[in-house]
Amino acid sequence: MLTFTLAGASQRLAPRLGTLIAKGRTPIQTPHYIGNTSRGVIPHITHDNQRKHTAIRSLYMGLEDFIEKLPPRKPPIYDIPYENDISPLKVFASHPPSTLLILSPRRFPPVETPTANTNTTLSICTSVGFRSLPISQYIDATAKLHPDIVISPCDFVPPAAKQNASVKRVEKMSDRTAVWLRDMLAMKKEVREEQGSGGNNGISVFAPILPVEGERQRYYLDQLVEDFKGEVSGLVLYDCGSLGEIPESLEELPRLMLSDPANPRELLQQISLGADMFVLPFVSLATDAGIALGFVFPPPLLGKDGNGSTRVPLGLDTWNEENATDVGSLQEGCQCYACVKHHKAYLHHLLSAKEMLAWVLIQIHNHYVMDQFFAGVRSSIANGTFEEDRQAFERYYEAEMSEKTNQGPRVRGYQFKSKGGGEPKKNPKGYNKLDDMAESLAEAPVPSPSVDAGDLEEHGLGQVSKS
Amino acid sequence: MAAEQPPHQMPRPMLSALRFDLLAKCSTTKARAAILHLPHGPVPLPIFMPVATQASLKGITPEQLADQNCKLCLNNTYHLGLKPGQAVLDKIGGAHKLQGWEGNILTDSGGFQMVSLLKLAKVTEEGVRFLSPHDGTPMLLTPEHSISLQNSIGSDIIMQLDDVIATTSPDDERMTEAMRRSVRWLDRCIEAHKKPESQNLFCIIQGGLNLKLRRECCGEMVKRDTPGIAIGGLSGGEEKDAYCKVVNECTGLLPERKPRYVMGVGYPEDLVVSIALGADMFDCVWPTRTARFGNAIVPSGTLNLRNAVYANDFTSIDKDCKCTTCRSQSEGGLGITRAYLHHIVAKETVGAHLLTMHNVFYQLDLMRRAREAILEDRYPDFVKEFFERLYPGGAPEWAKEALGSVGVVVP
Repeated sequence: MLTFTLAGASQRLAPRLGTLIAKGRTPIQTPHYIGNTSRGVIPHITHDNQRKHTAIRSLYMGLEDFIEKLPPRKPPIYDIPYENDISPLKVFASHPPSTLLILSPRRFPPVETPTANTNTTLSICTSVGFRSLPISQYIDATAKLHPDIVISPCDFVPPAAKQNASVKRVEKMSDRTAVWLRDMLAMKKEVREEQGSGGNNGISVFAPILPVEGERQRYYLDQLVEDFKGEVSGLVLYDCGSLGEIPESLEELPRLMLSDPANPRELLQQISLGADMFVLPFVSLATDAGIALGFVFPPPLLGKDGNGSTRVPLGLDTWNEENATDVGSLQEGCQCYACVKHHKAYLHHLLSAKEMLAWVLIQIHNHYVMDQFFAGVRSSIANGTFEEDRQAFERYYEAEMSEKTNQGPRVRGYQFKSKGGGEPKKNPKGYNKLDDMAESLAEAPVPSPSVDAGDLEEHGLGQVSKS
Repeated sequence: MAAEQPPHQMPRPMLSALRFDLLAKCSTTKARAAILHLPHGPVPLPIFMPVATQASLKGITPEQLADQNCKLCLNNTYHLGLKPGQAVLDKIGGAHKLQGWEGNILTDSGGFQMVSLLKLAKVTEEGVRFLSPHDGTPMLLTPEHSISLQNSIGSDIIMQLDDVIATTSPDDERMTEAMRRSVRWLDRCIEAHKKPESQNLFCIIQGGLNLKLRRECCGEMVKRDTPGIAIGGLSGGEEKDAYCKVVNECTGLLPERKPRYVMGVGYPEDLVVSIALGADMFDCVWPTRTARFGNAIVPSGTLNLRNAVYANDFTSIDKDCKCTTCRSQSEGGLGITRAYLHHIVAKETVGAHLLTMHNVFYQLDLMRRAREAILEDRYPDFVKEFFERLYPGGAPEWAKEALGSVGVVVP
């Protein structure tokens, strides 16, 4: 069973502290983030690095990452039996039993699909293409895979369209979501009855709050309170605004945000409104862009770095030439593996040489920064200074993450949606034909044999002038 | 035929920054077990050296590399010269500090890129002229420049610049010229070497597949008394039996108390045979490159984990393997299965990292087992067992012949 305890009597729409405990799993102090996975791993972080050099003990996985095989072939995850209270998905992806696993139908953020959901299916994207996933299959899958927390599917409307969603569309959204939740809870009950009172963890279901204004989902929310309260273990929110729509009687439930804040400022705003857990794509996005996050919470006192008239960037663009000979750490005083063992110059070299280790080290660093950040947030809430600290953070740091200045690692097909013909290549060509160069060699002047080796050292291999 | 070069003065005598302790010799083959004491710690020989081309072993951290028992890895001078460049290396204080690697580093001279980019290079007595593969700027690599760069890199073992041409070249005259030029370049390298007290310069025996040239080269280079000796110009697509003959011929002429490094060799069967022929050190990009293509090295060959047969295979890559990837979670490893690797190879970088760790460990562990066998004087049995597992239907002819020449009969 999942228990969520709030520290103290919390007010509505105010920051709150909680502890999420599932039997046999590492407890999570909230507010906190959940590790965001792709095909079962945090991108770039091997399992040994995760255990040794990160504090990530909870993972968010999308079922679509595991089910590219269509019947009659069976996805391999279903060949692993559920035993000893350990999810087959954790066994498959080699994560230790103590990891808290949250399963959702889709990756986060999900790739937009060309076809809409239907009454009985969700539209998903696997590594071999788009298809639809019957809700009944998702529910069966969760029964077999036995994650600690399962997210009941939401008939989600893409964020861009949700403001204009018609009355009819919203009605459909709330009807479908309610029916799917009912089916999900029925499955949960069945599983519990099958297991008896063996003491095993049941499956905990998180129910969506729809990403529309309260009045438009009144009917759905009423159902949530009247029919499903007591069966639902937590809530999933797709929009910061939904925090204000949570029915009072569901206040005590943990809230998982799939709201995709773009930067720490938005993240803090959501925390200030009482959000508990987050899946945060901006962390990996920063990593892929070569940006080493560099913010702390609460922020340093103003005045240390000037008069506060210019704001400090949220991260370091490691691609920047200035780092080429800088043997300082990515972030001053940082105790993460990357900062203790390596320096900016190496990271800069790895990025410009397109070595995969660059993203490994920055990813380790960025997750460490987030761990420190959330720890800071929690103690600030405990001290009752969160609101002041949040305002100081906004004064101290820039609002937006730095722009990506260079190419990240190769993009894979399941990570984006093609917009159709005439699109530029996502990954640049790594090699060129040598023949063109051979020609220019034949035409190039012959360097004189008396050429001074010392001169050549200066710009021979070391540097190619591009004046 | 090029005119005989006038006999020129021998360069200054070499210092050595290593100690080679020969521990055992196989009583049948020419295999040896030794400890090579280098500035960044002792290295057991025979050894395989994984290649961290651009100061990074393809996605794994120096800590993960050390976890696979690696004590000595390669960096490529040519690549480090382009990125981060000599000025940066000088400022940071060398490649160890650049990559946070506490073990030993060996650097090549940049000469091999001549073979791989031959179309773009012209060799003159002064050095190698080539075009920057980045922007086509004409550049020149001289023996002095190569050594200067390697001095800046600060590697524990540095290689002379040699005139490398493909072993398969039919041009005997060019081959002779290349071999003799390599000797002259060695002298220039010795003169240019500024840190003999902390960096060990190895000469490189050239001469293609021509044993007479190889003998002449061995004679000349042994006279220069470098701390170690490499056999170069091989692994360029020559027949395996010709390769074995060259290695066998050279090791017969080299002093016993110096490490012998055969460059660019990395298939497990090549390592096992070359050890029997008296070689001690090897390097190759194949194990780490093939990992990135989804292939795992196992005693029976390689497994291509992209193959659908592994989709539901919940065993480890190799049940006896003790690498980080294969070891079970109860043994402190990760317990990664073939099925999971199939799920992520070529899709997530983590797949490449996990296979890279396995393949590096496999190669190093093969060397460890070979060494143990030599120390216990049962190397011939080790070789037989190894070939029986890899080639249940019988070993290839070249291996039979080469092993036969040192007294081992494999089926």
